[in-house]
Amino acid sequence: MTKEVSVTVNGTVYVRSVPVRLLLVDFIRDVLDLTGTHQGCTYEGVCGACTVQLNGEAVKSCMLLAVQADGQHVKTIEGLAPTGEMHPLQRAFKEHHGLQCGFCTPGMIMNAEEFLRTNPRPSEEEIRHALIGNICRCTGYQGIVAAIAAAAEEMALPGASARQES
Amino acid sequence: MTTSESSWIGKRYSRREDPRLLTGKGQYLADLRVVRDPLVVKFARSSVAHAKIKSIDVSAAARLPGVVLVLTGEDIRERIRPLPTPSTVPLLPGHYPTHWPLAVERVKFHGEPVVAVVATDKYTAEDAIELIQVEYEDLPPITDPEKAMGKESPLVHPEIGTNVMFHAVLTGGMTEPEQTANSARVAAIFEAADVVIKERFYGHRCGVMPLETRGAIASWDPEAGLRVWMSTQRPHIDRLVFSELFDIPQNQVQVSAPRDQGGAFGVKAPVYREPIMVVYLTKLLGRPVQWIETREEHLMAVSQERDQIHEMELAADRDGRIIGLRDRVIADNGDSCEGVFWGFIMPFYGAALVPNAYHIPDCDISITAVATNKSALSPARAFGSLPGRFALDRAIDMLARRVGKDAADVRRMNLITQLPCNIATGVHYDSGNFVGVWDKLVQHIDVPKFRQEQLAARAQGRYIGLGFGVAVHASGVASEALVPMEGQPGYGSATLKMDSSGTVTVFEGDAPQGQGHETTMAQIAAEILGISPDDVAVRVGDTNNTPFASGTFGARGGSYTASAVAMAAMAVRDKIAQVVAHDNKLEADPRNFRFEGKAIWHKDREQPLTTVAEVANRIIMKPLDLPTGVDAGLEHTAFFEAKEPMMAFSAHATIVEVDASSGEFKILRYVSSEDVGRVINPMIVEGQVRGGVVQGLSNAMFEEFIYDENGQQLTSSMENYMLANAADVPNIEVVHSDTPCEHTPLGTRGMGEGVPGPVPGALCNAICDALEPFGIEIRDLPVRPDRVWALLQASSTRSGGAR
Repeated sequence: MTKEVSVTVNGTVYVRSVPVRLLLVDFIRDVLDLTGTHQGCTYEGVCGACTVQLNGEAVKSCMLLAVQADGQHVKTIEGLAPTGEMHPLQRAFKEHHGLQCGFCTPGMIMNAEEFLRTNPRPSEEEIRHALIGNICRCTGYQGIVAAIAAAAEEMALPGASARQES
Repeated sequence: MTTSESSWIGKRYSRREDPRLLTGKGQYLADLRVVRDPLVVKFARSSVAHAKIKSIDVSAAARLPGVVLVLTGEDIRERIRPLPTPSTVPLLPGHYPTHWPLAVERVKFHGEPVVAVVATDKYTAEDAIELIQVEYEDLPPITDPEKAMGKESPLVHPEIGTNVMFHAVLTGGMTEPEQTANSARVAAIFEAADVVIKERFYGHRCGVMPLETRGAIASWDPEAGLRVWMSTQRPHIDRLVFSELFDIPQNQVQVSAPRDQGGAFGVKAPVYREPIMVVYLTKLLGRPVQWIETREEHLMAVSQERDQIHEMELAADRDGRIIGLRDRVIADNGDSCEGVFWGFIMPFYGAALVPNAYHIPDCDISITAVATNKSALSPARAFGSLPGRFALDRAIDMLARRVGKDAADVRRMNLITQLPCNIATGVHYDSGNFVGVWDKLVQHIDVPKFRQEQLAARAQGRYIGLGFGVAVHASGVASEALVPMEGQPGYGSATLKMDSSGTVTVFEGDAPQGQGHETTMAQIAAEILGISPDDVAVRVGDTNNTPFASGTFGARGGSYTASAVAMAAMAVRDKIAQVVAHDNKLEADPRNFRFEGKAIWHKDREQPLTTVAEVANRIIMKPLDLPTGVDAGLEHTAFFEAKEPMMAFSAHATIVEVDASSGEFKILRYVSSEDVGRVINPMIVEGQVRGGVVQGLSNAMFEEFIYDENGQQLTSSMENYMLANAADVPNIEVVHSDTPCEHTPLGTRGMGEGVPGPVPGALCNAICDALEPFGIEIRDLPVRPDRVWALLQASSTRSGGAR
């Protein structure tokens, strides 16, 4: 059984006919060919590599069907920095060695971006707890935590949000 | 030739891989769109541990629209050559069970591939798998390696006649009479010793589990040959194996590891069943075929290592100086069907390294690898060494308590001080300064201050403890060791090509998975050629354009491959210097020239003679009036081989606080003191250390593959195969010592491999130190609050409460 869906992904409206059982992660990766969103576990929402934002909220795209995103707004890592200039989180991950193989990174960043909107000045412990749904196997998390703390600081500076928007 | 002040080596140069990975432009295997509309293969796997296959009904699956082909073991046994093949067998006297990519006649572990389903998409393939009916006739499951060694035990491989797949005795003797004499000498040492510690330790089954699973995409063209893209650490080895299995000339097999791989840590090194099936299917069907492993498959079939029992004995004098070691190691080898490693190469290597960084003049170590109905052990970072490190570092703490000394002092007293040396098992340690690294660690921790804090805390009813662990681990593997162990060469290789514009491309046949080679190899080439790392492109993992290489594993990058890159860059640099000398009518002594700031300088001139770009263009495009003996072009392929194995050393310390009523513990500090030789990029080294320590902590505290008494694997999801998350682990402090390796051109060492090894010992030593008033000793991994609580309960029953 298929159904037509209309999903706004990174600001572009996509109208596609999809099987009703198609997972959102497969819609993003295979139908739209946005391969920055990864899959690391067996659709059980544990690893967090498939994290995207649905109407601004970080979600595991392997735990949703594409049809559930019908009429909604999805943002993936490809849409985080539309101007081509890196987002402060992306810059901070580079600066603080927050990635090695990079497989978990898009999910980490999409989760962290929402987290910093809800908690702009987090403590280290709050950052660590915010990341429990995202597994990293390479870095030991230290660089990731440092990167999020640094990005929070940068984004809290006056004019930071204006720079992001420009 | 002098090295410039503004040296690239040693710089915290930010990674060139990062921008693409941070913006979603990474190209991992499943992201590649290299073939048109590939068919998808999925595997139906055994639901039981040990059984005869009575019948397989695939008719309903084959009828499902979208299904292209369904194959069982019977369908392929006459059509695919089984393993072992010559390039998948080590030169060691072990048993190498014959096996096909799909189970033939019997299944030998829960999760073994039984049926392959090819379909137009993965949803259809999974539907088809649900329709397959397999009728099994149960055979007795073999799950306990010690029982499996007994004469009465049923056999995993009846055709072999024993479950013991490999057995070796390591006493330093090469012949049987030497072994016997050495064992007798060790027995006499134990009889006469002041102190003997005799304990049984267990390092449980766990592994590395990269976040990207395995996978392969293949296409076949009768004229062009076989093209395979796969998630692998060793594309050149895979190429040999595919050539051998399918009678395709090697020069018609091209294997490419994607530029981006989502971790591997050892697990993507062996030759496994599934990629062989992908290649067979693509040839058979004449269409591209793709397999992307699910996490469930991964946890069923691979990523399982460690799993060793150590019956360890230490003989020591009254001061705690170790004079002898005996260890009987039993490894649970699983079904033992795994190309190149066969499960037992890891525990064999681990047994050879049991003496670790301690000077133990005499030892008698046996290793027995036993087949069971579980997944074969597959390589994991700290390669076979983790349980042995845990056992010895725990035993040394017990020894320290017995002789009434601080564990830190007993450790230092026993560290190897004379390097190079051959340890009692015969393994060569090349260089380093173990005591220096150790002293930096204990100074950083400030042991006397900690002991005061510990006493003060105890007075308040708080239990804090300090634990140590150490590791001498591989810095690459020399051919001398790798040829017998894996039948493969260990040398590093690299091709460096300079363009007429002075930019450079480095080609390496390894296949990194997050180690940052595009950055570190560029730093090396840039340093030697006086250009910027941004002028150096690094291409990896494609067998068509890289020199033969053994792959990315065993910390080969910073040792062997980095050395080959350096040698190739030096060869090109010296050639340039020769031409510049000739053109400027100067003496052609390369030591007179300096490459810096993209220019070439002479020691007697204030201004540069020329730029790298100009001279590159002159040599490549205007090869007129070249000096005698200098041929055209600026390309060089270098091979680096170490005569004997090289090692790296690290020492870890951790401080924990334990709740003596619940057994819960918290890590307050974790420090790693590392000697990685000359550091290429400290940021990357620290990342390797921190990641490795957290893998060790995750192994020690959370991860555990559990098989029930019927051999059913209960941990095939990340819901129950638990991994450490960000809130579970502390920050890791890293202290560097940089003792240059004398055997590499730049003094670098490889350092990533062994990092998790000392972690479980350090952690458990700290917990036992904290609970010293209760006299508990941890002997089994993993360590979890409930286990600590049980030990506390047993202790209070023994003594009627805390002393």
